[in-house]
Amino acid sequence: MNIWEAQTDIELMPHKPVEASLDECIKCNICMTACPVTAVTDLFPGPKYEGPQAARFRQGQQETPDYSVDYCSGCRVCNMVCPNGVRIAEMNARARATMVEQEKVPLKHKIRNNLIARPETLGKLGQPVYPISNFLLGSGFGRSLAGLFFDIAPKAALPDYTPEKFSKWVQKHEKPAQAKRKVVYFHGCSTEYYEPRVGKAAVHVLEANGFEVLIPPQNCCGLPLLSNGEFAAAQKYYESNIKKLIDYIKQGYVIVGTSTSCTLTLKEEAPELLSFYTDDALLLAGNTFDFNEFLVHLLDAGELRIDDLRPIPLTLAYHPPCQYRAHRIGFPAIEVLDLIPELTIIKSEAACCGVGGTYGYKAEKYEISMEVGRPLFEFIQEVDGPVAVCDSETCRWHIAGATGVPNVHPVELLAAAYGYEVEGPLADVLRQLA
Amino acid sequence: MGKQTDVLVIGAGLAGLTAAWQAARHGKKVKVLAKGWGATHWHSGCIDLLGYWPLDADTAVVHPAPAIAQLIKEQPQHPYALAGLDNVTAALSNFQDLCAEAGYPLEGSPEKNWLLPTAVGTFRPTCLAPQTMTAGDLSSDAPLLLVGFAQFVDFYPHVAADNLAQQGIPAEYVMLDLPSLARQHRLTSVVLAHMMEQEAFRQEVAQALQPKLGQAARVGFPAVLGLREATAVWQAMSDLLERPVFEIPTLPPSVAGIRLHHILQDAIQAQGGWVFDGMEAVGSEKDGGRVTAVITETAARNRAHRAQNYVLSTGGILGGGIYASYEGGVHEVVFDLPLNAPDNHLDWFHTDFMDKRGHPIYQTGIRVNKQFRPVNGSEQPLLSNLFAAGTTLAHCEPIRERSFAGIALVTGYAVGKNTIR
Repeated sequence: MNIWEAQTDIELMPHKPVEASLDECIKCNICMTACPVTAVTDLFPGPKYEGPQAARFRQGQQETPDYSVDYCSGCRVCNMVCPNGVRIAEMNARARATMVEQEKVPLKHKIRNNLIARPETLGKLGQPVYPISNFLLGSGFGRSLAGLFFDIAPKAALPDYTPEKFSKWVQKHEKPAQAKRKVVYFHGCSTEYYEPRVGKAAVHVLEANGFEVLIPPQNCCGLPLLSNGEFAAAQKYYESNIKKLIDYIKQGYVIVGTSTSCTLTLKEEAPELLSFYTDDALLLAGNTFDFNEFLVHLLDAGELRIDDLRPIPLTLAYHPPCQYRAHRIGFPAIEVLDLIPELTIIKSEAACCGVGGTYGYKAEKYEISMEVGRPLFEFIQEVDGPVAVCDSETCRWHIAGATGVPNVHPVELLAAAYGYEVEGPLADVLRQLA
Repeated sequence: MGKQTDVLVIGAGLAGLTAAWQAARHGKKVKVLAKGWGATHWHSGCIDLLGYWPLDADTAVVHPAPAIAQLIKEQPQHPYALAGLDNVTAALSNFQDLCAEAGYPLEGSPEKNWLLPTAVGTFRPTCLAPQTMTAGDLSSDAPLLLVGFAQFVDFYPHVAADNLAQQGIPAEYVMLDLPSLARQHRLTSVVLAHMMEQEAFRQEVAQALQPKLGQAARVGFPAVLGLREATAVWQAMSDLLERPVFEIPTLPPSVAGIRLHHILQDAIQAQGGWVFDGMEAVGSEKDGGRVTAVITETAARNRAHRAQNYVLSTGGILGGGIYASYEGGVHEVVFDLPLNAPDNHLDWFHTDFMDKRGHPIYQTGIRVNKQFRPVNGSEQPLLSNLFAAGTTLAHCEPIRERSFAGIALVTGYAVGKNTIR
């Protein structure tokens, strides 16, 4: 069976309920040393306290004991270091959802959270009038108002809306004539409304490997809503995506995505947090791949085009986002980038960039997100490449905002190595090299 | 990373990291799969080789080398016996070299154990200790001052000082409540270690301590004197206080243990090896008497990892390598290897909790031959490309022997060498 063919006869295994893992906690405190948030602020007492310990007080109909759980950025570093597999970050996410359900989030923040956690709605509203929205969001005045009314951090880095949506480009895009295999691309909201260049590079890389790229209509994956505790709204998006994607899987096509948090949501976060384990949900989870994960599978099967890669003589910092590490698939982006001649990739060992999706956009959490990211920012400035590389969009924006170094997705480098004319910051760098 | 893996190590405790480092430094492509962080973060940062032997002895081992020679004679199945005395000494000196190169020297030798204070003021025999700890040796009765930090709740200098004083070691304590620490209610050991790396903070600590030094000939801190800069921080504090300074390992998470984790992980990565966090090995594939893959769990599906040789270093019941069920069954989680546990749950324990003989379940582990290949009942290797190291092994009692780190280091070293043959 080929890696690009969906497996429809997979064993469908729901996870154990998140809270069931709290008894596995032996209070060893390893998570407390790894948590990047608790290291910089007293407002978050730490993963052990907020997760397995406080979870004991959240059983049944009891009141949520403590608002501090809202200061969890959801980076999942705690999960990754826990020697006993406790699902700490997920416990925190579910505790936050209970707070939302119990109407314990102040109204101003509830409105704000519902605004910034809906990139699809923001895109639909903002992108068509992009000159106006970009002007407003780029102006100190606009940002001050957003800060005043919605507690959106005035200094947090916001991306610009793109003049042309990714899906518009897709309509014009001419597919190669003789594709021998097909794959579905999940582009996510960031590619659609802000960085279509990532999607274009992804399409090119897949086509260069003989794929016809199917791009069905799709919704926001729902992750921003999940991490703001708005589970009901997230579930609507999630169910809608299942409907829109499942037939493709049943026809034998897998889903690949360039946004690591979207793919993680489809793979694990949505079904686990929502306890939504229908057959279709599990089928979608089992057949969704991160873009580089997919490429490495192709590579291992001898099916990745690698013989005519153009050299890219650069030394670049690469940050594997915490959301990416949570896939538990290693560092496939490095495996792929290592194939490009003359490209040197220096991997960051930083725990997290700090932005945590929407976390760093909140006025009360912005400073924390900057403190959390400090070691990473210093690393990126030390490597001193003309661009930095990161798989996750909000991380890219946050890192670029903090360091002044533009950030690109790994697929843009591979597309360039295939000879594709990339757009954006990488294009400028490559022009200067040439 | 995508290239052929020579050695796949399962478990990132001291044994697994040591095996991976040995293989990597001899040119092997190495991958380490870690479910999470573990043994090294619970670890004192010292290498306990043999602290108590025979097990019913009331006094600590003073000279580990001859004691191990005797142990090897009497317990031919003990991991030290399988490794042999040469491997014991080579493993230690190699590790000392590595730490010295990393700027973090470990002092001592198998000839003599240190006797260092624990965080509650008891005596702790250990073979190798970082330079930052050895001034605490209790064979000297030079008066001690033990320093605590009010916001660091995992270290109680008054308890330690009181216990030491009762055992004839003149000891005082001081609890510092510094303005720089007032920002946080509670500090983790790692945050405090980062603060100690800042010169201004060290000055603040020293200034607060100056008037309290009294008769103290040496000053003991919890082991938080820097994470990656420990030797420099320790030296700076010794200079500021103008007397020997030493660290005492804290409750987990232990900064001194994390330093060893960093040193080994850096050494592996410097040789092009990989250490993956959050990857839990849940099973394996075998064919024709060989391991063909180890299976890990990922966000949505299981994934196979393939290599030439495999090293199992997942620990025992405590470490998670061996699962003990409520019904009384035990099994090894990755390869389902046979274990030497009592068949009947009732035979796990003697009736007296504090029985001097220990309990039969303590010896549970994987039986291996001299190459550290897991064997069946007739001593035949079960899987020709599989090795096991560390406290997952049978016929030892690492906790009661105080040999946890020693067994991990020695067997990890021996296995690492075997994988390159």
